[in-house]
Amino acid sequence: MTENKKASGSGSIMVVGGGISGLTAALEAAEVGYEVFLVEKNPYLGGRVSQLNQYFPKLCPPTCGLEINYRRIKDNPLVHTFTLAEIANVDGEPGNYKVSVKLNPRFINTNCTACNECVAVCPAERNNEFNFGMDMTKAVYLPFEMAFPTRYVIDPVACHGVDCGKCVDVCKYDAIELEMKEKTIDLQVGSIIWATGWTPYDATRMDNLGFGQYPNIVTNMMLERLASKNGPTAGVIQRPSDKKAPESIAFVQCAGSRDENYLPYCSYICCMASLKHATYIREQYPDAKVYIFYIDLRAPGQRYEKFYDKIKEDENVFFIKGKVAEVIENPDNNNITVVAENAVTGEKVKQEVEMVVLATGMQPTAALSKLSADLKISEDGFMINDFDKGGMFAAGCANKPADVVSSNQNATGMALKAIQTLVNR
Amino acid sequence: MAEPYMIDSDINFIKEIGILGAEDLKKCYQCATCSVACPISPDSHPFPRKEMIAASWGLKDRLVGNADIWLCHNCGDCSTHCPREAKPADVLAALRSYAITDYAVPKKLAKMVNDPKKLPVLLGIPVVLFLALGLILKMFGIHWLNFSPGGDEIAHAKFFSTWLVDLIFIPAFIFAVAVFFIGVKRFLSDIHQNALMEGKTDKEKIDPVGFVQALGRVIPTILKHRKFSECTENRERSTAHMMVLYGFIGLFVVTNIFFVTLYVFQIHGPYSQLNPVKWLANVAGVALVIGGLLMVKSRFDKPDQSTTYKDWSLIGLVLALGLTGMLTEMTRLAGAAGLTYFIYFIHLVFVFCLFVYVPYSKLAHLVYRTLAMTYAEYSNRK
Repeated sequence: MTENKKASGSGSIMVVGGGISGLTAALEAAEVGYEVFLVEKNPYLGGRVSQLNQYFPKLCPPTCGLEINYRRIKDNPLVHTFTLAEIANVDGEPGNYKVSVKLNPRFINTNCTACNECVAVCPAERNNEFNFGMDMTKAVYLPFEMAFPTRYVIDPVACHGVDCGKCVDVCKYDAIELEMKEKTIDLQVGSIIWATGWTPYDATRMDNLGFGQYPNIVTNMMLERLASKNGPTAGVIQRPSDKKAPESIAFVQCAGSRDENYLPYCSYICCMASLKHATYIREQYPDAKVYIFYIDLRAPGQRYEKFYDKIKEDENVFFIKGKVAEVIENPDNNNITVVAENAVTGEKVKQEVEMVVLATGMQPTAALSKLSADLKISEDGFMINDFDKGGMFAAGCANKPADVVSSNQNATGMALKAIQTLVNR
Repeated sequence: MAEPYMIDSDINFIKEIGILGAEDLKKCYQCATCSVACPISPDSHPFPRKEMIAASWGLKDRLVGNADIWLCHNCGDCSTHCPREAKPADVLAALRSYAITDYAVPKKLAKMVNDPKKLPVLLGIPVVLFLALGLILKMFGIHWLNFSPGGDEIAHAKFFSTWLVDLIFIPAFIFAVAVFFIGVKRFLSDIHQNALMEGKTDKEKIDPVGFVQALGRVIPTILKHRKFSECTENRERSTAHMMVLYGFIGLFVVTNIFFVTLYVFQIHGPYSQLNPVKWLANVAGVALVIGGLLMVKSRFDKPDQSTTYKDWSLIGLVLALGLTGMLTEMTRLAGAAGLTYFIYFIHLVFVFCLFVYVPYSKLAHLVYRTLAMTYAEYSNRK
């Protein structure tokens, strides 16, 4: 797997985005002998998958799979990784692109051993967006324990700068460079794979679902962090208002998805994610009641359907066919009453629960920030692949909402497409 | 699981309500957001989710005789929150329009009232009737229609005698009542059957005394527009609707007072502008015009909401009645004899339309919604 071959076609491949799709595409191309530039805007690789507690349906930790990929990157000299990097401009045509890559300063060089001394002295704090703002980190921080590359990073907005310099004094390895500047490099590549991924849809936009108004309403991705051992609560699921172990939790499916007012498409993963979340809760709290309000439950394929069947057998998990369209907070105990019509019985359901999870969907990153390249983007922000033109390809959730398995399959296919551009040139 | 249910689908029904404004019906995917978004929908068997599926399956019998379509006040909160833009509010409006036609007799006239191409014929009927009746009476030496009234004082009765007016309008009013009576009888029986089938009632039979008592409790709700003001969207519509409703009530009261004044006390109009009844008439007339204009405005402000012929024709009638009525008075006061007699004639044409076509038009909601709300009150719909 790690042996170094030289490919027959010439040229390099750029992969934009270092999440699971980008990692796969980069490695699949590199392992058949192509030089790959892997560009990631975060200070770490792994993307959204690194925020997950467990994969469905096997319920194994994603860090395991990610580690294997990091190992493959480390062993393969053909993969050049750039973190904190963004695409500034793309010029050219299939087989011959000039890409300007903006490298944002990390303020920490490769000397860093992740000894944590700097964190101990740092006086400044920042909101930890990796945990969706549920905790804080210091201005100098390691994004998370398993972050790769294993190097600290400084948030320039939170950092007090050279005037403070406490971290510089304490660092024994001269790893901190507070005056590091951003720079732009130009790279010549033959094809580009866009694996720019997705962003959880902004749940505050559905004002009838109360997110951001009531503390005990969280999103599905927040629940992943709450359930993760490296999350803000060290893996203990608790409701935000009083840190209480929730005895009842409602899941609101299609929160902003399949909705012409928000995201008109199905985000594909939220049903399976909520079913998986039911297992998190039921494992931690054997008596907790889980209410899943849905329009239709989508568990595509035999393995997912089996998973769904298993959850259905749990007598503490209740499925109610009806979308939650209203939430009411009880100001005395911060409990939430969700309101839906049970379309099977034709009765309105007003279920009071201690915590609500909104199964929010995925919005392609390209919907939120314009990419500086000549790409065909759908109304919803997904990239449309133009295989006749070739040269640039979208993989994973940049192309369509997908789970990890399909993202990997898709990314492998796009790696082949990228190679074909080089070979057929 | 529920009992197996054989669907008796009426495809034409789906097409017809589509024309009446339910063209996006099939986008619905039954998420039931609408039933929760609706501020006036009951907790048990809420609407309009169940109406949406029944309509897309073409279950005409479950919808036409369903009181719930009348409990809806078309505020549009459901359509605003609908994730599929299926517009449940418009679907229910279309169902009501369909139901009005269904309960009306003769069907032929009902179809004409809802067909824009038939409007000239419908307006022509009173014109021909007035002139023909006036001329026939003339042949018998009764000059109730006088084309050269003359005299110093303008009095509309000199042109179009009050006898002729009442010779036409009293039968017209009785006709409308009779048509409603036939429709309402079937309507009440249907909504009761539907409520029994869907488990929406705690009453075995409709007891007339209890029903009338319920009506007494419902009327203040209607007059105060209590249901209307629970809406979030479209709340301003309540003001316009209230103006038109009170305009009509005011004018109905005025008409009755002057009817008695004329026939019992033998006092002929035109009456003094200082007469308090005249004040009421003027205020009601102005309310009708302003309310009508506000309705036009709110329809234009809401391009998402479907507005079909049934809506425009009623707003048009309201404005035509109000404007011709006010203009008749103003031209009389201005001393423009020919003009005022002409406008008066047009005004009478529209009054005829109001009486004779009301059981077939959207205005019939006055009767059907009142009865449906009364039934819901009577049957303890929760």
